[in-house]
Amino acid sequence: MPIIVNLDVMMAKRKISAGELAARIDITPANLSILKNNKAKAVRFSTLEAICRELDCQPGDVLEYIREE
Amino acid sequence: MKSNWNSDKSLLLTRILTIAVLFLAGAALFCIPVITEWYDAVSEQKPIHTVLNIVLYASDLFGIFGALQLHRLLLHISKKKLFVQENVTCFRLISWCCFGVAALWAVLTFWRRLALFVALIAAFAGLILRVLKNLLEQAVELREENDYTI
Repeated sequence: MPIIVNLDVMMAKRKISAGELAARIDITPANLSILKNNKAKAVRFSTLEAICRELDCQPGDVLEYIREE
Repeated sequence: MKSNWNSDKSLLLTRILTIAVLFLAGAALFCIPVITEWYDAVSEQKPIHTVLNIVLYASDLFGIFGALQLHRLLLHISKKKLFVQENVTCFRLISWCCFGVAALWAVLTFWRRLALFVALIAAFAGLILRVLKNLLEQAVELREENDYTI
């Protein structure tokens, strides 16, 4: 998919573990793993809002569009 | 009076019926030569012993394979595996079995015109199953999308 989730980059910048972020945004570690590994088909606005709030960033910092060749 | 009928009992009844059909179809394999001989004896037309044997044996094999797929489908349903790709495959295979039977009986139409009715019924059943297969395929896609929405 041309939309890439750069969650691991932002998590490394904020020095936050996957388990801690999952607990803070109230999703399961398994679902966070799906998101981090670019396996997700869609992201709810509520989840995106919680991620941006906890990582203190903008949606564009987490999501990136890469044009397919 | 309150009925004790529920979906589990309904599923059990369907599984029993499917297994009964499997046994009947298996037993029919041994009876086909007798059936064709009897048919040729009572029919006032030219005997079609060999052709009828081939069509009946092949139809029976399609029937057994289709019933096995039905059994597999019912097993998945009993395990609550509903919207999965395996069930789509079962529907597709059963639908092809119906089309296979329809093709065989369509060929038999060259000898017996009434065989066209069986061919049409089998083709219609195959078509219905194909529509159901398409429906289930969409449901599987929706379920996957829902599962992967975070």
